[in-house]
Amino acid sequence: MSGAHPQEDGHRPRGPEFPPGADQPPEGMSRRAFLELMGAALALAGASGCFRQPREKILPYVVQPELTPGVPRYYATAMELDGYATGLLVESHDGRPTKVEGNPDHPASIGAAGLWAQASVLGLYDPMRPRSLRRNGRRAAWGMLAQALAPAALAARAGARGAGLHLLLEPTGSPLTAALLARLRARFPDARVHWDAGGNAGGVYHGTALAFGRPLQPHYDFAAADVVVVLDADPFGAEPNALRWAREAASRRDPEARTGMSRVWVAEPTPTPTGMYADHRLRVRAGDVGALAMDLLAALVALGTSVTAARELAAALRARAAAGGDAPWNPAWVRGAAADLHAAAGRGIVIAGTHQPGDVQAAAHLLNHLLGNTGRTVWYTEPVLPEVADAARAAATAGAPTPPGAATLAQAIEAGAVDTLMILGGNPALTAPAELGLPRALARVRQVVQLAAYRDETTAAVGAGGDHWFVPAAHYLERWGDGRAWDGTPALVQPLVQPLHGGHDAAELVALLAGERSTVHELLRAEWRGRAGAAGFDGWWDAALRRGVCGTAAPRVAPPAARLETVAGMLDRLRPAPGGALEAVLRPDAKVHDGRFANNAWLQEMPAPLTTLSWDQAALVSPATARRLGLVSGDVVRLDVSGAAGGRALEVPVLVTPGQADDCLALPLGYGRRGEDERLARGVGVDGYALRTAATAASGIVPGVGLARTGAHRDLVLTQHHWSLLDRAEEIVPSAAEAGAQHATPPAPRRQLTIFQPVQPQGADQWAMTIDLARCTGCSACVVACQAENNVPVVGREEVGKGREMHWLRIDRYTRDGSDAADAADAAGSLDDPDFALQPMLCQHCEKAPCEYVCPVAATMHSADGLNEMIYNRCVGTRFCSNNCPYKVRRFNWFDYNGEVAATEALAKNPDVTVRGRGVMEKCTFCVQRIREHQIARELGQAPPPVLTACQQACPTEAIRFGSLTDPASPVHGGRESPRAFSALAELGTAPRVRYLAQRRNPSPLMRPAPGGAA
Amino acid sequence: MPALFPPRTTPLARAMAFGLGLLVIALPVGLMWWVRQPPVTGQGRTAAQPVAAFSHRLHTRFRIDCRFCHAGAERAADAGLPATTMCVPCHEPVWLSGREFAAVRQSLRTARPIAWNRVNRVPDYVFFNHAIHVNKGVGCETCHGRVDRMDLAHQAAPLTMGWCLDCHQDPAKQLRPVSAVTEMGYRPARPQAELGPELARAYHVRPLTDCTTCHR
Repeated sequence: MSGAHPQEDGHRPRGPEFPPGADQPPEGMSRRAFLELMGAALALAGASGCFRQPREKILPYVVQPELTPGVPRYYATAMELDGYATGLLVESHDGRPTKVEGNPDHPASIGAAGLWAQASVLGLYDPMRPRSLRRNGRRAAWGMLAQALAPAALAARAGARGAGLHLLLEPTGSPLTAALLARLRARFPDARVHWDAGGNAGGVYHGTALAFGRPLQPHYDFAAADVVVVLDADPFGAEPNALRWAREAASRRDPEARTGMSRVWVAEPTPTPTGMYADHRLRVRAGDVGALAMDLLAALVALGTSVTAARELAAALRARAAAGGDAPWNPAWVRGAAADLHAAAGRGIVIAGTHQPGDVQAAAHLLNHLLGNTGRTVWYTEPVLPEVADAARAAATAGAPTPPGAATLAQAIEAGAVDTLMILGGNPALTAPAELGLPRALARVRQVVQLAAYRDETTAAVGAGGDHWFVPAAHYLERWGDGRAWDGTPALVQPLVQPLHGGHDAAELVALLAGERSTVHELLRAEWRGRAGAAGFDGWWDAALRRGVCGTAAPRVAPPAARLETVAGMLDRLRPAPGGALEAVLRPDAKVHDGRFANNAWLQEMPAPLTTLSWDQAALVSPATARRLGLVSGDVVRLDVSGAAGGRALEVPVLVTPGQADDCLALPLGYGRRGEDERLARGVGVDGYALRTAATAASGIVPGVGLARTGAHRDLVLTQHHWSLLDRAEEIVPSAAEAGAQHATPPAPRRQLTIFQPVQPQGADQWAMTIDLARCTGCSACVVACQAENNVPVVGREEVGKGREMHWLRIDRYTRDGSDAADAADAAGSLDDPDFALQPMLCQHCEKAPCEYVCPVAATMHSADGLNEMIYNRCVGTRFCSNNCPYKVRRFNWFDYNGEVAATEALAKNPDVTVRGRGVMEKCTFCVQRIREHQIARELGQAPPPVLTACQQACPTEAIRFGSLTDPASPVHGGRESPRAFSALAELGTAPRVRYLAQRRNPSPLMRPAPGGAA
Repeated sequence: MPALFPPRTTPLARAMAFGLGLLVIALPVGLMWWVRQPPVTGQGRTAAQPVAAFSHRLHTRFRIDCRFCHAGAERAADAGLPATTMCVPCHEPVWLSGREFAAVRQSLRTARPIAWNRVNRVPDYVFFNHAIHVNKGVGCETCHGRVDRMDLAHQAAPLTMGWCLDCHQDPAKQLRPVSAVTEMGYRPARPQAELGPELARAYHVRPLTDCTTCHR
């Protein structure tokens, strides 16, 4: 759609809610031609009904296993990401995994599953996965590789002590991998392992090593913390332990919580799920967070927090507090946060992001130490990733950022020390800083064995010369293994299916190098027999597999002596950058992470949290910065970094995003993929890694970025274009105060709707949902969970651009205090410091549903138990229902989106839900298939667990509660009658069964009260 | 201008006009009637099977319970077909060498399933659950007919939505004691008008006509 359109013909713009031209007739075909074609299509469509149902085969087992065909089974396993495992329960229908749920017994999941785990099922069935092992581009057999890597052959080439053998691994807490590496080192003592910490797994150890002199694993109890100060961290969104931390924090975001609401202070450069919990959110450039931490420390000392160990330091800090002034942020935020932390000493948490430089993280640890939080709300254990921790300690001692494994590897290749290189994880050619020249170096190594999920950038860099092997990696649902959670709890990874395409895994290859020919299953059992004891091992093994957890958390270590003296150095070093200089923040994306999920259509299509960007990538800029630079959303800019490597540049569209720090561009990594197999990801966005240098790779903070307009424009595909609630906040998503006022004086409906009879519930169950907006972080796990459970199709960029996305559940986001002008793409307006309001929006299952009255064929009906039913086989596609739905939650199949899915992809479909065809309307069903199965099980005399909808089950913060209104014990009642409860668009009289609980902030009395409740 | 047609054709024209009107009504009505007839619904149709000599009649004569082979009927949505090895214990000593058993032997030899042709099929958007019907006193015979008189099974019922709703609107008329669900040629001990409602109360059976009862 064009950016501007003529307005002389009486078409006034209808406000920012509608894109320009939304009220114009479509272009491209005349009405007459359209009618002719449609007439012919209609006549022919009748004929298409004349076919006989195909004959179906029934294939029973040859030997019946111990299961009932057609009844799904659940297996416990674990998914490792960034080195840490999250326990999962995976639903298997007759041998094919279809849905991932969290494992309630696992400490990093406690029943929830994040969006990457949810989407991993589609990754398993991705038809673009490579299907064969290759040598120099030609198919080869595993046996040939095993021969080439046999210890004798290896010793002949790489030296008897293995000096020429180098391994590149992703960080892993796997006890099996650690044991295999130890055995490999026993055989080849000079073999070298490089840890490719692409996701900066070492950052957290760098911070503790600086603060305490040795690397430690920090732990936080957000349920016990009255005050949380977050310094550019995302503990409730992207951190490896985020599911658990988000749940703990959520228990204190609920105004009705028995322990009282916590107060959350968030300083961050770009909005994250954690920022959605902020009572006071400070927009700050990532590079200035360190200076902010120092200001916070100074303010605390001024308030009387004792720094007995270092008198001089105290004086310096007091001087800093007294001087104040020059910081580009609101000093009231620092004073307020310091006052809260001081008052809640021992009951607070200061957390700095693992991407922040070690200094800043160390400062956060020292703040916790000074406040007496350590040992109470914050404690430490030995590192879960010891080898990564050792590298971090070495870097901390040297006073440099932790070098990525790719850097040490590049040096080794440069020195000619590498004969055989095993790339067993990561995609170094993509993620390594460009000045290392790793892609060119890789091509020079004599023998490279790459284990990867796809033939990617690294495969291309290695090339097809010499002796280069590509081994397809097994998906975690296809292999045995183990891993550790953030708290050290070990869990077993058990396969749900045989490798679909003959995949192998890292442990298998390391074992091969060590001269062991056993299967991973045998190795794993042997490893755990050694740990658990041989007596009764089979019983132990079965129990561990059933429960998904095979040990306990790591023990706490006594708080080590804090090295306060390090602060003195930081005080000078950590100063705010001069204003005006642009900073780029390059972090793993909320959807495709570091790029590994780029080929996953569910994730690509998912509207990004808050920005709602789909199938694209953009540099986020704040409205003020956009005004200053004269940019509007979609303008393509050229970013360049002049650095040691001679300067690199890339062109990327910008997206004006409220809540972004000024003079700070947030560019998510993981896009611009060029892999041979990852065809879906090709052409989506640009490669942000290109802007990173060795010095900035760990933090992703690139100062001094040049920006130039190119004059080009790209239409970014967003699913929600407007931020403002206009004057309708009270009706759509009121704040707690507004909702409470509504309760105090029952609202007088604007229109009396008299044609509807009062609803008389008939069924024994009356299903309903309550969504607590105070707990929602907008993480979007529910969106993907819904897609996986309900066979929601993927439609692609072009269709999403036409507003045809199919998600049954979307997360609407608004700003409370923005004015209309702010939404227009050309005037950024006053959305600089917004108070965000999130609202998961799905079918409201209205008791008086407007859609039901207008359907000419009764394809949408009301059930006795309060569900608004959608009957696909009756639907003729008039779309009247969608037009009459005030919540706009109905989705129409404009094309046969499911007709072209690959054979393997079809295996991901849930057999309990109809796969919809073209011309059919669909929408949220409250997971009716789960409800009916629950009812059948109940009627059969079994005692089924309560019905959980897919979104509810995935939600880490338990914001979504579902159940029957007739069941007094159901969680759906929680808060449903409280003053915070409201119905969206209540004045329409639709009587929705979904009720929301209004968000409430817990503002500090020290802060100037803002209209929306937050500063 | 002279008339194109002589006056005697007027009745013909009238008849044609009337006939056209009739056709407009009769054609849709006729089509709607036709799609409910056995040639379209498949009622009475038998499917050819890889074991052509298989006889339900013979197996029921040996008093083998339906659930011995169709074990899922009580527990799961699908009644299921027996695994190949299920045939072996009984047939091995007597019959397994016969020509009729070629498909069974091949399945055992190659470890590949016997590909039976489905007889009773409901569309993909219908989620039928055997367990709940069997456990609430709906007999096998009610839908599948006198299987004890069939060799290869044929589709006994039309399996149309109207046929399902007949029972779903008033289940009492088709209920029998759970102990008799597999009985063929079942006759109620007392008049069904009396027994049915009693069983419905005892089994907590009520009319279920919500669309999502079957369509999800």
